[in-house]
Amino acid sequence: MTLPPVARAALRAFIVLNAIILLVTYATLLERKFAARMQSRIGPYYVGRPHGWLQPIADALKLMLKEDVVPAAADRGVYNLAPVVFLVPCMLIFATIPFAPELGVADLNIGVLFFLAVSSLEIVGLFMGGWGSNNKYALLSAMRAVNQIISYDLPFVFAALVPVLLAGSLQMSAIVAAQQGLWFVFYPVIGQLAFVAYLVATLAAENRVPFDILEAESELVAGFRVEYSGMKFALIQLGEYAHMLGTSFLGALLFLGGWLGPGPAWLGPLWFLAKAVLVFLVVTWVRWSFVRIRVDQILAISWKLLLPATLVLLLATGFVVATRGAGGG
Amino acid sequence: MTLEMVGFWMVAAVLVASSLAVVLTPNLFHAVLYLAAALVATGLVFLLLDSPFLFAVQLLLYAVGVMTVVVFAIMLTERLVGERIVQTSRSLLNGAVVAGAVFVGVVGFLIRAPRSVLRPTLDADAIPAIGRALVGPFAVTLELLGLLLVVALLGALYFARTDE
Repeated sequence: MTLPPVARAALRAFIVLNAIILLVTYATLLERKFAARMQSRIGPYYVGRPHGWLQPIADALKLMLKEDVVPAAADRGVYNLAPVVFLVPCMLIFATIPFAPELGVADLNIGVLFFLAVSSLEIVGLFMGGWGSNNKYALLSAMRAVNQIISYDLPFVFAALVPVLLAGSLQMSAIVAAQQGLWFVFYPVIGQLAFVAYLVATLAAENRVPFDILEAESELVAGFRVEYSGMKFALIQLGEYAHMLGTSFLGALLFLGGWLGPGPAWLGPLWFLAKAVLVFLVVTWVRWSFVRIRVDQILAISWKLLLPATLVLLLATGFVVATRGAGGG
Repeated sequence: MTLEMVGFWMVAAVLVASSLAVVLTPNLFHAVLYLAAALVATGLVFLLLDSPFLFAVQLLLYAVGVMTVVVFAIMLTERLVGERIVQTSRSLLNGAVVAGAVFVGVVGFLIRAPRSVLRPTLDADAIPAIGRALVGPFAVTLELLGLLLVVALLGALYFARTDE
């Protein structure tokens, strides 16, 4: 079967998109089960036995059937567009992630940069939602979001650049290939520090506890999505979890060696998925263990600790690479 | 017509429409959103020209960086302070004359410039070359830009300081 290159690329993108949506749907179940176990509960159980495996499907159906409410004072165009503008970049980040050698939509030579650039676009959708809702809580939440993104984008980029420097390439497959001998998380000192910085910045970028001041249930109800219902709410939720999963995949690729692992080559994607789920669970574990911290504390952590630390780390990595040469080990 | 040309014309239409909307809409917040659309469309033109690097930089620096700061300013001044800022476009006519003159100039330049039928493909290794150029022949320029940004940062700090 020979398809024209455009059709083949479109088909590949279609498959990846649907796989990601399915994965994201079940990531919610995973998180609920994991959180329940941490709190000595069982979690979803009755919808689809054993252990509620049909729960995500039921949730999706419920959200599709719910009434769609638009506040009378809302800026209608902005309000209606916001969920889509929020979702698109969250889905686009998967375009450059290869799930195994040659198995992905596009393995760009600037893969990591593309990921960082596109994923930071989600903030546009976020403040569109916050502004368009014409709600004080939503607006405050959008303000806090912009605040937080400005503070944590730089540490996130610097932490992600450490493996890039070590590998000497922005291409994702080349970064994995460079970890053949030694995963970057095991690189002496630099690797571990960069991984920790990456995890902290990830938590902030995904607006998860302890950095979830912009959705803070007890003060802002649910932040910028407080006015959304039905399918629009579902789209925002989908985008948020897709972003979380995307950064988990990126973390697994940058620090944990991507699809490298023992066993035959076809096990590669499964190894990659397992590592990404591991990163996802670490982030979830933090979420269900800590309390929300204050706005000024969040800003202080970023500007006074994380930013200088990642800068020094990047400089140190530069020195190491300059003296020892790029590549793992 | 190739697929690439279809893509270009679609992006060009979006770019022109959103750029016009930036200056014509009275709502300041909408103007900023149209600006974001125009900046992303510009990035897409770079992408169609085989330069994903410029696309990513355009997104990171303009679409996100500049937008964030602009929106921050609007949100801080308008709804939280309680005053509505309405964008007014005075001297639309003068602006249109200047824009038309620039357009004629660019078109005249393009007509006279030699055009090859095929677009030269971009070298895949352009990014290392860009990097080397930034720390080689353009190192002083880069450092000066950094200095300028530090001065701007210090200035912002000075203005943001609360009076005691």
